[in-house]
Amino acid sequence: MSNSVISVISRFLEEYTSTTPTKLKVVDSYLLYILLTGALQFLYCLLVGTFPFNSFLSGFISCVGSFILAVCLRIQINPQNKGDFLSISPERAFADFLFAHTVLHLVVMNFIG
Amino acid sequence: MDHSRLLGLWFFSLALAGAQALTPSHHLSLSDVARLQSLLSQPFTDLESAYYSVVGLTKLGAVIPDQNEVCHFLKSELDPASVDSLFFAVETSQAISGCEIPVSNETRDILLAAVSEDSTMGQIHRAVSALGSLGLPLASQEVIGALTARIEKEDNVMAITSALLAASRLSQQAELGGILEEIEDLTARLDDLGGMYLQFEEGLEATAMFVTAAYSLSDHVGVEPPLKEDQVIQLVNSIFSKKSWDSLAEAFSVASAAAALSSNQFHVPVVVRTHGPATVSHSQPTLQLLVTDVMSQPLTSANVLVESANAASSKSSILSQAPFTLNDGIFEFNFMSSQPASGYYQFTIAVTGDKRLVANQVELKVKVSTEVAVTNMDLSVVDKDQSIGTKTTRVDYPSKAKSSFVADSHQYFAMAFQLVDVNTGVELTPHQTFVRLHNQKTGQEVVFVAEPDSKNLYKFELDTAERKSEFDTISGTYSLCLIVGDATLENPILWNVADVVLKFVDEEAPATIQPKTLYVPKPEIQHLFREPEKKPPTVVSNAFTALVLFPFLLLLILWFKLGANISNFRLSPSTVLFHVGHAAMLGLMYVYWTHLDMFQTLKYLAIIGGVTFLAGNRMLAQKAVKRLEKK
Repeated sequence: MSNSVISVISRFLEEYTSTTPTKLKVVDSYLLYILLTGALQFLYCLLVGTFPFNSFLSGFISCVGSFILAVCLRIQINPQNKGDFLSISPERAFADFLFAHTVLHLVVMNFIG
Repeated sequence: MDHSRLLGLWFFSLALAGAQALTPSHHLSLSDVARLQSLLSQPFTDLESAYYSVVGLTKLGAVIPDQNEVCHFLKSELDPASVDSLFFAVETSQAISGCEIPVSNETRDILLAAVSEDSTMGQIHRAVSALGSLGLPLASQEVIGALTARIEKEDNVMAITSALLAASRLSQQAELGGILEEIEDLTARLDDLGGMYLQFEEGLEATAMFVTAAYSLSDHVGVEPPLKEDQVIQLVNSIFSKKSWDSLAEAFSVASAAAALSSNQFHVPVVVRTHGPATVSHSQPTLQLLVTDVMSQPLTSANVLVESANAASSKSSILSQAPFTLNDGIFEFNFMSSQPASGYYQFTIAVTGDKRLVANQVELKVKVSTEVAVTNMDLSVVDKDQSIGTKTTRVDYPSKAKSSFVADSHQYFAMAFQLVDVNTGVELTPHQTFVRLHNQKTGQEVVFVAEPDSKNLYKFELDTAERKSEFDTISGTYSLCLIVGDATLENPILWNVADVVLKFVDEEAPATIQPKTLYVPKPEIQHLFREPEKKPPTVVSNAFTALVLFPFLLLLILWFKLGANISNFRLSPSTVLFHVGHAAMLGLMYVYWTHLDMFQTLKYLAIIGGVTFLAGNRMLAQKAVKRLEKK
């Protein structure tokens, strides 16, 4: 059972490193960074309690929001998905990504207290 | 013949009135009149104060001292060119005897010139009064014309009051009807306060002078003023409710109003008060009344009689149409001769004899008090099983029973007595009949109520087993007192009847009785400030701050490993501008966190964002073109 899991994982990693274009790998590493940051924040909150709650929420929501936007960007610039996003060029996706981030950061900064 | 017609009129008006008419709640008592007189008797320094003082005192019926000096003062202070000065001097000289103000033709001309519609109402009034008092001829029609024209221009209360006063000095044959109607208009302007007071919002002086002027003109013309009886009483309440006066003018107005209301031809309010408390008893059998006018001058010509007297509780009629007798200025009535039972009685008193009298029907609550005696006081200790015969001891007031009574849990202590009226022998049921047991050692006292049965015989029973909780089961000697009291009793009773030894079962050690700690300072409450939230130690939070920055490092490493670089960076203006703008936006976020508020941030963001957007658009378009070329 565990054998098959390990083999699935190693196969997945192999395929990933070989088939994924560099651009997507860059975005993936960014996603990993965001994930780690959010996880650490959550761990801290579990350890020491929720005071001040608004700061924790704003930080965590920032991570979650950035993650979601980065995922959207990744989907949109993936050449394999070009058929689904005929009207949206990668540049346009990036511009949307930047704009959405501006709004997100405005809200986060407001809430961080 | 007039008497019987009057009586008939009273019965008719009684039937009509139905509801109780208003009676004065305020008037000038003798001490108030004295205070008013002393205020008016203060030494005066100018003609106006002289006028108020002298004429005011005359209205109160007081004697003016040093009349020659006053006359001298008037003549020396007089300014023959001023209408006001002439008015004050002339009017004051009329009040004292043997004082004549010399008058010249110029004086007469000045006064006559003041009577025109171009002068103020006050000036017209003063000129007319001065001319009248000096005996100089005056064309009444001209004056009426000037007054009527002036009323159109000066509509305030004091002006119209002055017009009324001026009109009362004119000839009786003149056409004063128009001015007379102003009384009704002014009456409509009075403010009704709670149905009790009627006054002008301009104040006491205006109200009092209005009353004076209205009655002065009405008397002069011989027409009854259009004031209803209740309105007259409400005016009386307003004018005489203030007992200390701020100025001479105010005091003068009150004195004038008092004189007007005591001696005009139409309405004389009556003030009926009891002389002493409204209580009669065997020692004081007469009810004494003071019947006066508003200045506390007795109305000795009046007839006072008791219309009806009803017992307050049973509403049965005791008296009807019984007259009072006048004795040395006080009206007396011997109520005890009707042998009333003790209690409260509602009297309706009517004052007749003068058809000008207003508020001459008064309701009075009279108390008949008596003395009580305790009779047939029987004390006994009764066995519950009734196996042993009860021994009854008779005790007479005010002595105490010789031996004490012992009652334990098998017995109960009983007491029976009667309360009778000393004078009539009738049984009484006073409001307070208490039996008090006082433990001499511990200071504890327990009070019970003795209730009468149907035959008005009072009984009290103390069952030791039943009542032990009230006594805290403390056995011992208790002194037994009977307390009898009532508002209609002149001799309340506190009688130590006997000593009772009570034996309780389950006796606890007698605890000293603590007086209730109600009035002892309570423990102080310390204010608890809001505790700050528990924060983690700084070490932990610093550690995590560092830890959170670690993934960024990881990201940079990963990017480096992947080969992400900025080799494609074209140094074109739009690119540079875009990156600068983007960096500026991130910087703005930081500044927003530390210094700015949302509105300022949005303002800056709009500017920077606009620039960045345009630059970015350009840059991305160039990139897109390049990408498509490369393909």
